[in-house]
Amino acid sequence: MSEILQVKNLSVSFFTPHGEVEAVRDVTFSLQSGEVLAVVGESGCGKTALCKSIMKLLPDTARIKSGSIAVCGADITDYTDRDMRKLRGRLYSMILQNPMTALDPTVPVGRQVAEAVLVHHPRMDKEAVRRRVLELMTLVGLDNAQARCQQYPHSLSGGMLQRCVLAIALAGEPQILFADEPTTALDVTVQAQILDLLREIQQRLGTATVLVTHDFGVVARAADRVAVMYAGRIVEIGTAEDIFYDPRHPYTVGLLRSLPYFAAPGEPLYTVPGMPPTMIDPPPGDAFAPRNVYALEIDYQEAPPMFQISDTHFAAAWLLDPRAPRVDLRAGGVRRG
Amino acid sequence: MRSRVFTLGKNLLIFALSLAILSVAVFYVARLAPGDPLASYYGSRVEKLTPEARFAAEERLGLHDPIIVQYFKWLRGALRGDFGISFQYKRPVVEVIGGRIGNTLALGGIGFALTFALALLLGVFCAGHEDTFLDKLICKVGTVTGCIPEFWLSLVLILIFDIYLGLLPGSGAYSVGKADDLGDRAAHLLLPLAVVVLGHLWYYAYMIRNRMLEEIRADYVLLAKSVGLPDRKILFRHCLRNCMPTYLSIMAISVPHIIGGTYIVETVFSYPGVGTLSYESARYQDYNMLMVLTLLTGAVVILCNLVAQTVNARIDPRGRAAETEVTADVR
Amino acid sequence: MGENLLEVRRLSHTYTVNRHMTVKALDDVSFSINKGEIFGVVGESGCGKSTLARCVMNLLRPTAGEIFYQGINISDKKQVRANRPLLQTSRQLIFQDSVSGLNPRMRVADIIAEPMQLHRIRPPRGSYRAEAEFQMRHVGLDASYLDKYPPELSGGMRQRVAIARALSMEPSLLVADEPVASLDVSIQAQILNLFRHLQAEHGFTFLFIAHDLSVVKYLCDRVAVMISGKLVEVAPVAELFSDPRHPYTKALLSAMPIPDPRLERSRTPTVFDPAAAPLTGALTEVSPAHFVLTEGGAADA
Repeated sequence: MSEILQVKNLSVSFFTPHGEVEAVRDVTFSLQSGEVLAVVGESGCGKTALCKSIMKLLPDTARIKSGSIAVCGADITDYTDRDMRKLRGRLYSMILQNPMTALDPTVPVGRQVAEAVLVHHPRMDKEAVRRRVLELMTLVGLDNAQARCQQYPHSLSGGMLQRCVLAIALAGEPQILFADEPTTALDVTVQAQILDLLREIQQRLGTATVLVTHDFGVVARAADRVAVMYAGRIVEIGTAEDIFYDPRHPYTVGLLRSLPYFAAPGEPLYTVPGMPPTMIDPPPGDAFAPRNVYALEIDYQEAPPMFQISDTHFAAAWLLDPRAPRVDLRAGGVRRG
Repeated sequence: MRSRVFTLGKNLLIFALSLAILSVAVFYVARLAPGDPLASYYGSRVEKLTPEARFAAEERLGLHDPIIVQYFKWLRGALRGDFGISFQYKRPVVEVIGGRIGNTLALGGIGFALTFALALLLGVFCAGHEDTFLDKLICKVGTVTGCIPEFWLSLVLILIFDIYLGLLPGSGAYSVGKADDLGDRAAHLLLPLAVVVLGHLWYYAYMIRNRMLEEIRADYVLLAKSVGLPDRKILFRHCLRNCMPTYLSIMAISVPHIIGGTYIVETVFSYPGVGTLSYESARYQDYNMLMVLTLLTGAVVILCNLVAQTVNARIDPRGRAAETEVTADVR
Repeated sequence: MGENLLEVRRLSHTYTVNRHMTVKALDDVSFSINKGEIFGVVGESGCGKSTLARCVMNLLRPTAGEIFYQGINISDKKQVRANRPLLQTSRQLIFQDSVSGLNPRMRVADIIAEPMQLHRIRPPRGSYRAEAEFQMRHVGLDASYLDKYPPELSGGMRQRVAIARALSMEPSLLVADEPVASLDVSIQAQILNLFRHLQAEHGFTFLFIAHDLSVVKYLCDRVAVMISGKLVEVAPVAELFSDPRHPYTKALLSAMPIPDPRLERSRTPTVFDPAAAPLTGALTEVSPAHFVLTEGGAADA
């Protein structure tokens, strides 16, 4: 395994008429080739903005304020849109939440895949493109690929469309695949199939995947490592086992405990009190402090650094400081049985 | 196939019915308006007519019959292709219009084509450069220019280019004795054309810009970008293509709009087209002329709307497919 | 078993797509809901669960079948007309999309009081505003939000406002169409707790429509599973999850994502093959209160 993406102290802000929205704040992480990193968090926590800033697909109102992004050792922080175009598709591509809108409704899906193929092999002849398109369609598990190519997006189901989107994304054999809520718009039975397909492709092609989601079920099924985001920061990062079986940040614990799956029948669900802060002028210190029943005084003054728990597991909570009082975060028991 | 015939039949029926209703309405309303139809027929001589002669003249023009009888007399003639004579020109209506329609077609047709070509260019340009200085400038200029009434703009242009600068002629379709000189005709066309185009261009450019932006913000553009498709290709191959149905239907619907504009412009520039003619015919109670002109305009409007509907349904694969398979996400 | 509040008998609804095409959104659906029960309906998009909610709320006319609400046949126009005030006040609907469900140009206080004003109900607490304030507190919102407009509120707050509005009429039947689907995990937990709490307090009957099985498992007393307009299984919630009988229910349960990596990865979802288990026949009682669609069977759920 080698490190193919390295993000260091990245901060991204959107400049809106209401003020500066600090969407991503001081985020550091790295991605190994061939792994699936899930970025989990609630809406507005900055997970989508993080991906878009790495892909350099941010709107004009957003700016990378500080930090660096390195892909395969090359620093791309200051790359222009023109430089990026050469990297996109080949180095990374993405799949989107809603497959119904992710394809041009007036062009047959085969043509759209072919277009993506031609971006990377402009001189490929017609027959070779056709073969490559069929190969991609088969790779993503579309049966009867030949006939599917002629169809328009509206006549395919959500699951099939998401497979087409994946075929387009894989056309340039990217090293990193960004999947932004790839199954949220799909039915449960299709969701598992698409997640398994993502894993299978990642294993077969060695693609690294950044999986953005808010659904812990999806994370459990597909992720090797998990990064939990809150108010623009990564508050905890570790392997899936670390996060699910030994969560250390009170927010992670709270989220897991509030899942109906873990609820004892007849008992009220655990809830994280309060609401996420707005990202215009976020409070000083730990943004989670006002919702944290274990908040320490220092939480309101200074943002906590990343504390290392094991080789793979890091969390940003003052509670992990050796000087902090010991508390049992899972006082209700996260796992049942 | 059967459904296509059905649709065609339905559209023809709508067309005929609308025209019939229109003709009744115009026939009746024109006769409600105050004024003396004889005045346009006899000119100033009408004042010298004896009451008997006047009565006889009115009788000859059929003005004493009840309106319903007059209408059916007119309708019987019209169905045979005889639309009567123009009171003012004392020649068959069709002949008078035929002599003038070329001018209007030149003004309206070129104006229409130019308006839409420029609107598309500006719209796509602005959408591609959203929120840049040029985009903002074009939108601002457009808003201001689009608000200027056409007759006023016409007067200002005549004042500047004809009266002060003497560069371009400000009235008529050609200079005396130069009826066959194409260059002269073109020069006469320039100012009215400018008004027609400037009066309509902005609105359509703005519509196209917004429609393009809608496409540009769609998810599929993001996906295409993320796999490395060049912006230009996305803009033209996908966004523009998907705007075309809207563009074409706006075009079809706007025909009456632009015809209306042309009529005003023709009148201000005393341009001998159908517009001036219809203004005069309404002014001088030239009933037969008014009927034909209104019906002609009405026919064009209705036809364009039907064309717009058909084009829209044909061009969009979703619309095409709706006839054969289920697309609705039924919940 | 308690008294029936709602009974649906052989309900069908057919959408007309065009002259040649119709879609059966509901196909011969029968079930009944007891007073004070939380009845869940699960199924994937397009299975007809929203159509069901709309039929129950009289927003759609069923093509066939009958719906009885408190003994009133609400698929019969005459009976609906005769009982209009009762029907309109005692049944309330909550949508998934609280953004489009609330008029963005109305203050929260007016939104909550509107149904009361429309039905000319004298506010028990003096003024409409006091009533709105009471309902707001009830759903856990501060009175300071009364003068805000919906766009100023977060998704969870808007959903609370929608709930407060529905509850202001003190309904006996609350129909909720995917009320938590668009909410974040922590907010979803708050709203689910609120539902539970309010239901225990008011004892209203709850028709809860969802696609998320873990939510249904947590909240509901009985669950109905739907696919392609057909009701395939109805059972008490514990029994449905422990002993699913219909192949589609099994497939649905096996695909439900579990937030536990080791467990989740060891599972392979079974795929439902409509050819292997035809969706025909009638509901048959396999064990007390557990009904499954079986070929040739006949019984009423």
